[in-house]
Amino acid sequence: MPGGPRRRSAAALLVLPTALWYVGFLIAPLVVLLVMSFGERSPNGGYAPALTLEQYGNLTTRLTPLTNTLGLAALNTVICLLVAFPVAYTLALKVRGSWKLILVALVVVPFWTSFLIRTYAWMTLLGNNGVPQVLAWLGFGDIQLLNTPFAVSLGIVYNYLPLMVLPIYVSLDRLDRSLMEASRDLGAGPVATIRQVVLPLAAPGILSGIVLVFIPIMGEYLIPILLGGGKTYFLGNALADLFLQSRNWPFGSALASIFVVGMVVLVAGYLALSRRLVRAGRETSLL
Amino acid sequence: MTTGHDPGEPRDADLITRLAIQRRLSRRHFLAGTGVGLGALALAACAPDAGGSAAPTTAGDLGDTLNLATWPNYHDQAVLDAFAAETGVAINVGVYGSTEEMEAKIRAGNSGIDVVVPSNYAIEGWVADKLIEPLDYSKLPNFVRADWNALFMDQAFDKGNTYSLPKNWGTTGIAYRSSKITEEISTWKQFFDLCADKYAGRGLIVDHQISSFGSAAVAMGYSLNTIDPAEMAEVEAMLTALKPKLFAISSDVQPPLRALDTWLSVAWTGDGVQVGRDNEDARYVVAADGGELWIDSYTVPTDAPHKAAAYAFIDWITQPEQAAKETEFCLFPHANDKATALLSAEVRDNAVIYPSPDALAKQEYAVNATYNSPERAEAWARIKASA
Repeated sequence: MPGGPRRRSAAALLVLPTALWYVGFLIAPLVVLLVMSFGERSPNGGYAPALTLEQYGNLTTRLTPLTNTLGLAALNTVICLLVAFPVAYTLALKVRGSWKLILVALVVVPFWTSFLIRTYAWMTLLGNNGVPQVLAWLGFGDIQLLNTPFAVSLGIVYNYLPLMVLPIYVSLDRLDRSLMEASRDLGAGPVATIRQVVLPLAAPGILSGIVLVFIPIMGEYLIPILLGGGKTYFLGNALADLFLQSRNWPFGSALASIFVVGMVVLVAGYLALSRRLVRAGRETSLL
Repeated sequence: MTTGHDPGEPRDADLITRLAIQRRLSRRHFLAGTGVGLGALALAACAPDAGGSAAPTTAGDLGDTLNLATWPNYHDQAVLDAFAAETGVAINVGVYGSTEEMEAKIRAGNSGIDVVVPSNYAIEGWVADKLIEPLDYSKLPNFVRADWNALFMDQAFDKGNTYSLPKNWGTTGIAYRSSKITEEISTWKQFFDLCADKYAGRGLIVDHQISSFGSAAVAMGYSLNTIDPAEMAEVEAMLTALKPKLFAISSDVQPPLRALDTWLSVAWTGDGVQVGRDNEDARYVVAADGGELWIDSYTVPTDAPHKAAAYAFIDWITQPEQAAKETEFCLFPHANDKATALLSAEVRDNAVIYPSPDALAKQEYAVNATYNSPERAEAWARIKASA
């Protein structure tokens, strides 16, 4: 399409707000973060200009929160997936008519209440006067639920489940049902059909779900505090402590920078993989 | 919030009249601030001159806004409203969970904060980095040095109160529920031993290096302020071993104490008083083997945009009548003796709020070196990260 100078300047004008947004709210903060990460903690806290790699050298002291976070993020993403897939499968392929719309809407309804309030509600439920009291009454003895790794996982799975259900639901909903019928006609049982037909076709949705859930869990900060009682220590908590307790901005910046780089690598890997999956899916459909 | 004050409650005419008499309200502000009937207005107009001690503040100089950075449940809204009614300056209250959070804001600069209420240990560093300015006492005409308790003035962290005037002070003590704890806890040593053994799973320490690491150091016979590497290593080992047996490391101590999720906890004065008022079996003790004594103080950031209003506010709220109302509300002790004298007996004679001088004898202020020690910060981070 030929673009005259007028049209080009109009296009530039249209792009300008977006560009300013990215520069002001994405690039500039990242530059500040990077610059600070080469600085030193001033004796009374905060940032003192310097050019040192000391902060990056200190990163090994935060290996425990890093491995904690990676392990728990992976574990809870898998739990989310295991819970979400049957839900999405049922919603997309088993439920029909107006029920479908209602049930999909119900998956999203918890988002209408503040994350903080829902998590506080869990504190009450899991606390001494909640479920443990019922369990004690039923004769299970003194069981502590709140401030355990179980409570943290529960909170994470509960809060992030819709982010896993919805992309899987979308990919299953678009699935060509004749493929499943063909699979059955050709003698595959229900399990074989799910494994060999449904799962490969739903793979892009599953992958989106995994990324949508894994990345926010990596940055999770509140759930370990509220439901983990500050005993489960995530990278997000290590970062918050560096800025708000130790007031060691350069070290916090170095940790945050490395975290950002790690996430970028992860997302890049996701994009490459999902492109391959979509291509593979298209080829399967064409067959 | 448990103190039962409703900010929306209309102030009674009696209070308005008293204010009018004491503070010589200008008619314009009187009307603007309260909208109370003509009877009170007539009284105000006839009010005798109250000894000429009132601040000659005129609204024009003060502007109309004041940004206050302070702690949760720390100010009586009625007192803040009364200031607004008198001066026309509306107070925006920013609530912070820790001194460190306040510091993050004012250190970043251009925070817009006019008055900030940090704890004692931060002040030296803030002065060194010029984050707060020397108080201009010429703008605090109602300040009377003799009214203030010498125990809390002229401390090492701010000699001569050059930069800070106390808001309230308090202790870091032990809160416990005697319906569950059969022992009478009186020392930090006892507290940490019970958390580790008999009441495993029921103890709580606050998520604050100074208070929790410091109290653990006291339990082991060291100073609250220890930064000696060998001593810190011992404290770290003790707390790391203790961590799996704790209910939580959290500064939100009241909900679990009330719900009996936690039976014994590191706590600050206000927590002790508030939980104690609602639960007969709740106890709060200042430990006999030592611990933390602290003061939160009014300071003015160097880059405060509304300095005139800031000084008018500090001058006003540190006056005995206002300070007493604030203390009745927040239930932390005040350093102004005249304010203390105005308190109800219920508050003044409450040994949790005002511990005896004997109980305070072994308590220490946390110092700047403790607050800023990278080694202590890292030890605390390792404890929190440990499994």
